[in-house]
Amino acid sequence: MLCINSIFKLFKRPLYIDDVIEQMEYAGSSSVFIISLVCLFVGMALSLQLSAELGRLGLKMYTGKVVGIAVIREIGPLVTALVFIGRVGAGQTAEIGSMILGHQIDTLRVYGIDPVKKVVIPRVIASVLMLPCLTIIGDLICLFGGYYIAVFVSNQSGSFYWSSIIRELNFQNVFSGVIKPFIFGYLISCISCFYGLTTHGGAKGLRTSTTKAVVTSIVVVIAMDFILTRILLYALGFSV
Amino acid sequence: MIVFDNVWFSYGEREIFKGISFRAKFDERVALLGESGSGKTTILKLIVGLIKPDRGRIFIDGVDITELSEEELIPIRRKFSIVFQEGALFDSLPVKENVAFFMRELLKIPDDEIYSRVSELLRLVGVQGSEELMPEQLSGGMHRRVAIARALSVGKTKMFLYDEPTAGLDPINSQRIISLIEDLANREKTGFMIITHVVYVAWQLCNRFIFVENGNLVFDGNKDELISTEIPAVKNFIKELFFKVK
Repeated sequence: MLCINSIFKLFKRPLYIDDVIEQMEYAGSSSVFIISLVCLFVGMALSLQLSAELGRLGLKMYTGKVVGIAVIREIGPLVTALVFIGRVGAGQTAEIGSMILGHQIDTLRVYGIDPVKKVVIPRVIASVLMLPCLTIIGDLICLFGGYYIAVFVSNQSGSFYWSSIIRELNFQNVFSGVIKPFIFGYLISCISCFYGLTTHGGAKGLRTSTTKAVVTSIVVVIAMDFILTRILLYALGFSV
Repeated sequence: MIVFDNVWFSYGEREIFKGISFRAKFDERVALLGESGSGKTTILKLIVGLIKPDRGRIFIDGVDITELSEEELIPIRRKFSIVFQEGALFDSLPVKENVAFFMRELLKIPDDEIYSRVSELLRLVGVQGSEELMPEQLSGGMHRRVAIARALSVGKTKMFLYDEPTAGLDPINSQRIISLIEDLANREKTGFMIITHVVYVAWQLCNRFIFVENGNLVFDGNKDELISTEIPAVKNFIKELFFKVK
C-alpha cells in the first residue's frame, strides 16, 4: 500500500524539495566512502579468485572480461544495494520509528501535514536517484580493485584489462546494470519507511522494526535481482 | 463541545475502553487522571482523530469524527492545540525552526514575519534567547515550553490538550509549566484538557476531574466531589493531594 501510495502522491503539492535534497545528501554523498571501501575489496577478491581459476585453465587474459561483466551486470548493483540497506535503509527505519515513538509523526498529522508526503516521499525519491549514482561509483571502484590485483599481483597487462572491460560496455550490459538500482532503491526505501511507520513498543519495538526492515530488504532485493536478471536476459536477447 | 458516546477501543487483544461516555465544553479545565497504561493518552488521540474507536461515536462541535478521512479531519484538528508528552520537537531542527515549522508549512507568510512571531512566542513561554539551540540541548522544562510555543504558532485554538506536561520535571520547572498553562488559558480565553498522574498538578489547574480505570470512567466530578469521593481507586490515587494540602 505504501509503495502505491507514494507513487500516487509523488507529484501532488507541496513537493518538499528541500527535504528531498537533504535526504539525497544523507543517502548519497554520505554513503560514497563506505560503498567505495566495500566495492574495492569485493573487486579485489573477485579478481584474485578469477585470476587463480582462469590461470589454471590458461585463460588468465579473460580476467578483465569476466570481472567486467560480473561487476557491471550483477555484483556492482547487488553489493551496492546491500550496503545501502545497511546504511541508508536501516537509518530511515530508525529515524521514522523514533519519530513515531516521539509523537513527531502524530504532531504532523494533527496539523494536517501528510507524513507520507513529508517524510516518506523525500526518502523514496532520494533513494531512487542516489542508488544508481552510488552503483556507478561502486562499479568503477570494483573494477579498479580488480585492475590492481590483475596487474600488480597476477602480472597481467593493465591496458588489456581495461580494453577487455571497455569491449563489454555495450547497451545490454550497461542497461542490465543501471536499471536494477532504480528498482532496488525504490523497494529498499518503501520497505524501510513502512517498518519505520509501523514501529510500536519503545526501544525494543524500534530494534525489532529496524531488524525486520533490513532482513526483508535483503531478501526482497536478492529475489528481485534474480527476477530482473531473468527478465533482462530474455528481453535483451541473451540465450541461457 | 467534545462528546464521547459509548466509545470502545482496544490495542489488539488489549481492551482499553469498554464503552466510555462523557461531554466536555471547550472552555472547561478538565484533568484526565488514572494510572499509567489506563488509556489517558488514547483519549487525546481519539479526540483529534489520530486513532478511530472500535465502536461508539465521537462528536466535536456536533460533527461525528469517527468516519472522517484525514483531509476531513484537518478543520477538526485545528480547533485544538496539542502538546504531546516530552514535547515531540523535531530533533533535527533548532528551536526557532521547530516553532516556525507549522507557520512555514501552513500559513505561507514571509520569513521576517515568521521569525518575529517565533521571537514573540518564545518570549511568551519564557525561553527567549534559545532560538539557535537544538532540542537535545534543552532542559526538560524548556522542551515543554518550546512545544507549547509551537502549539500556539498557527493561530487561535479552541482548547489546549496537554499530555503529561510536567512528567519528569523538577518541582520548580513543574510550577513554571503549571503557571504557563494557566496564563495561556486566561490569555486565550480557552479551556484545556490535561493528562497527568500528578494529582496536585490537576488540583492546581482544573475544576473538573475524570478518572479512568480498567477501561471505564469511574469518576467525573468537581473539586468538592473529588475530595469527598468514596470510590477506592480514586481515593487511593488522591492520597498525595491530602498530604500536600496538609
